[in-house]
Amino acid sequence: MNGNDLSTAIRNCLGEFTSYSDELGELDRALGDGDLGITVSLGAAAVEEALAVLPADSTPAEVVLACAKAFANANPSTMAALVAGALLAGSKVWGASTSLADGQIGAFAVAAAESISQRGKSKIGDKTILDAMFPAADALVNAAAGESALDAAINAAEAGVIASKELQSRRGRASWLQERSIGLQDPGATAFLRFLQSWKATNTPAALITAGENTK
Amino acid sequence: MKKIINEPSAFVDEFVEGILLAHPRLLKTPGEDRRVLVRADAPVAGKVGIVTGGGSGHLPLFKGYVGRGLCDGVAIGNVFSSPSSAQVLEATKAVSGGAGVLYLYGNYGGDVFNFDLATDMAELEGIATLTAVGRDDVASQPKERAADRRGVAGIMFAFKAAGAAAERGDSLEQVAAVAEDIINNTATMGIGLSPTILPTTGKASFDLDDGEMEVGIGIHGEPGFHRGAVETADRIAETLMERLVADLGITAGARVAVLVNGMGATPLEELYLLFRRVHQLLTEQGITIDKNYIGEYATSLEMSGASISLLALNDERLALLNAPAESPFFKEA
Repeated sequence: MNGNDLSTAIRNCLGEFTSYSDELGELDRALGDGDLGITVSLGAAAVEEALAVLPADSTPAEVVLACAKAFANANPSTMAALVAGALLAGSKVWGASTSLADGQIGAFAVAAAESISQRGKSKIGDKTILDAMFPAADALVNAAAGESALDAAINAAEAGVIASKELQSRRGRASWLQERSIGLQDPGATAFLRFLQSWKATNTPAALITAGENTK
Repeated sequence: MKKIINEPSAFVDEFVEGILLAHPRLLKTPGEDRRVLVRADAPVAGKVGIVTGGGSGHLPLFKGYVGRGLCDGVAIGNVFSSPSSAQVLEATKAVSGGAGVLYLYGNYGGDVFNFDLATDMAELEGIATLTAVGRDDVASQPKERAADRRGVAGIMFAFKAAGAAAERGDSLEQVAAVAEDIINNTATMGIGLSPTILPTTGKASFDLDDGEMEVGIGIHGEPGFHRGAVETADRIAETLMERLVADLGITAGARVAVLVNGMGATPLEELYLLFRRVHQLLTEQGITIDKNYIGEYATSLEMSGASISLLALNDERLALLNAPAESPFFKEA
């Protein structure tokens, strides 16, 4: 997959992803300050705009850099800054590669999750986006030969979202709710799951990440 | 709500425009975005740049500390809201003189995330950055969690000292070390008597009954550790000083700088009442005041109240405080 393929896949995905912005906004109203729906819809629109004007010969890392800048500038929210930092950390893994092998997708996801963990001073079990992201990144890295790594990642993320419902929020505004946060579904983790599901729904076949041709 | 404002949503842009019109000799905006101010001679070739930033509503914090011998640039957020990473990056590029840029701001989540993201962006532009965050509010976390404390008025000492270090030609690592040294030796605590009213909502940031005060309050009206009847100026000074002196661990023979800061709507007279008692208390303990600041250095719009900051001094820190500096809001001859 070269930069142009990646840019097309992201744009394909974003239309579907923003259809979840009401759901994400509602979840965030219960646990946070309710701005996640706006962050997602404004951010996605800004990303689409930025990718539309990016030269077709851009590297995958340049595509992600453009996404990160656009997403952060669209909305100076904490979530946007964390996601943009994660995208930048992930893109560093790719360096100047002009074409991505599948192993590089997993390495990107791991670096992105670690960036959020470090910047957000959060770990798995704190009831954040990381409860979906770390398991999904692991699944991408470790998918069995022949298995769709994307399917494995979606399953892992979904399991993380469900498991984290019963946890108490430890970070951000949600932590102020203390035990009242138990039972509520984390909006950040849900957003990550919805992104993966949108990717699968709009990019067929999921040739993008199939472990069979893994070069790791 | 009674305020001297126009359209509430234009509040920040309009006061920034006023500052620029009033002080063209000292300040400029480097591009289209009026939410970025830099000193008029930026970038200074070969000098470490210092970029600060944060929410509006705290003048002279943060914009007031941009000038010679202080910070080089500031990214300006909405009232009590972080600036964007793009604004921090624009300030960074505008003040970069080739020796790197220090980010120096208060420890608040949104600001930390946006400045951290700006460090990534600056790296892509080939600008080296280091970060030091003010965390002087001793009421916000106990000593063992000092790294998580909020940054309040005492960050002024760090602006002054790091600015002086940059001006004399220190390297980025040295300027950052000066800022850290000051931050680690600064302690602040405040009390609030009446709340801030946000221009956009017209609502008070917290409720406080007549005759009550909040001890340990933050500069956005964050609750402190005690709410009770308003006490005398002397008693307030004693309460705050007991905690500050203990937190810094200073004893007889120590030297300090003292900052008595008004929160926005407290008369200077009352600040001098506090300083009087601070002076008496320190003198009784054998601690010398080598430098003092009394006035408004970090406010919270029209909150009434005050904070006291102490900086434990040595010769190096005092020399940096005494070095010349000039901004529209701060002068050291």
